[in-house]
Amino acid sequence: MNRKDSRSISATLAAATCSLLGAGIPAPVDAQEEPAWDFNTSLLYYGEDDDRVKDYSVSAIARRMFVDDRFLTIGLTVDVLTGATPSGAIKQDVPQTFTRPSGDGAYTVAAGELPLDDTFKDTRAAFTVGWQQPVGETSLINIGASASREYDYTHIGLNAKFARDFNRRNTTVSAGIALSMDNLDPVGGAPTALTPMRDVGDKSNRRGDEDKDVFDIVVGVTQVLSRNLVVQANYSYSNSDGYLTDPYKVLSLVDGTTGDTLSRVPTPGVDGPSHQFLFENRPDDRTKHSLYGQAKYYMNGKVLDASYRFMTDDWEIDSHTVDLRYRIPFGADRYFEPHLRFYTQTEAEFYRLSISDSQPLPSFASADYRLGDFDAITLGMKYGWKTRDDNEMSVRVEGYRQTGSIPGSQIIGSQATRDNYPDLNAIIVQFGYRF
Amino acid sequence: MKRTAGLAAVTTLLCAGCSAMGIEPWERDILAKDEMQLTTDEIEAATDDHIYFSKEASSGGRGFGGGGCGCN
Repeated sequence: MNRKDSRSISATLAAATCSLLGAGIPAPVDAQEEPAWDFNTSLLYYGEDDDRVKDYSVSAIARRMFVDDRFLTIGLTVDVLTGATPSGAIKQDVPQTFTRPSGDGAYTVAAGELPLDDTFKDTRAAFTVGWQQPVGETSLINIGASASREYDYTHIGLNAKFARDFNRRNTTVSAGIALSMDNLDPVGGAPTALTPMRDVGDKSNRRGDEDKDVFDIVVGVTQVLSRNLVVQANYSYSNSDGYLTDPYKVLSLVDGTTGDTLSRVPTPGVDGPSHQFLFENRPDDRTKHSLYGQAKYYMNGKVLDASYRFMTDDWEIDSHTVDLRYRIPFGADRYFEPHLRFYTQTEAEFYRLSISDSQPLPSFASADYRLGDFDAITLGMKYGWKTRDDNEMSVRVEGYRQTGSIPGSQIIGSQATRDNYPDLNAIIVQFGYRF
Repeated sequence: MKRTAGLAAVTTLLCAGCSAMGIEPWERDILAKDEMQLTTDEIEAATDDHIYFSKEASSGGRGFGGGGCGCN
């Protein structure tokens, strides 16, 4: 043995001794899991036809893994919205002039056209943060906060979820609660319910900002049924309390016989509405109950993701949603995923096409098409692939179509000759990148 | 009272059923795949929730229905 060798052996022995004594080696937890960031990002375009709403959106979710299966998740979304949205007023055979929501100007809608409010422009930024960690051997806790800001809307939310595994981790029972405290500061001030749209510059029926609180509970069970089938069932309760009205939506006040919107004459020298429109009003409380079921089934590489949701609320809206996705792999790292979604809802009890001047003024009324009786279908295709450095990319293109109907009992006189619930068609294009 | 007893019986049976179902830890190869998670793409799921929350009168189900947007 030469000298060099003996020095080398002593160094090795010293290192081994240090290791046995626990000095100079990394903490065992560090050795098991290397903390790292993961990013999930997306670019989205959502566009409705007929110059209605367009949304350009950028999202990112960053996840930092810590030792012992603890995760920090941070999410950020920025939406830029443009376009026009139905004001709630009905079509007329003559042009109609409206005061803008700000009360500072007016716009005119051509004869026979659906009145759309084109002042709809907004930028929305939403932020979420969540912390997840195991509790004991079989439980998991997740706490989070969310905040979002729009020109006329601010949201702050808190949520917590607890999940526990049973039965060799084949059954997971979970429960969560969420609180949301929102503030609306409508452009021009929130209008007094069911008062008429006034001339430009007349803000006598406008008030300040409004609040809305939402309380949610979700309880659920996830069950592994076999090596390739997992199912989930959730019940959720949601209560909204406060200002649930849309401050920008109106209803046309119509003649009880002809069904035509009553005309009005603005103050001389001032722009103002050409017809009579009343600001809508919704109840200040809403309770929803939902049942949700989902199944994921693996069939020889292909994955079927099927879900169903039933929702009912005290505004008398019932809805059914069926969502089907079928992931078909091809090659080593590519897949196609067709998507079909079907949705149907009944109308809210206070939904109405217009308000008749021959009936007493109702306490609650809204002509918002989203509270009407309609069906919707989504058809889409997603293509996903892995990049050379093992990151994931995907692109999906979907079409969404809403077809509504107005109950015959709500149609008065000339209204029968018009399409009162035009179809809504939208396209969704989303590009995703995970690294 | 009868109803409560009935409910308790059904729950017990369901739980008993659950404990007989499932797989062993070494049979989890398929369920561990990314594409077999209940939510495969968080951003896509959040996008869909946001779109449909804005355009329809229902929300939530999979998770919280909540607020957070002036669009509805």
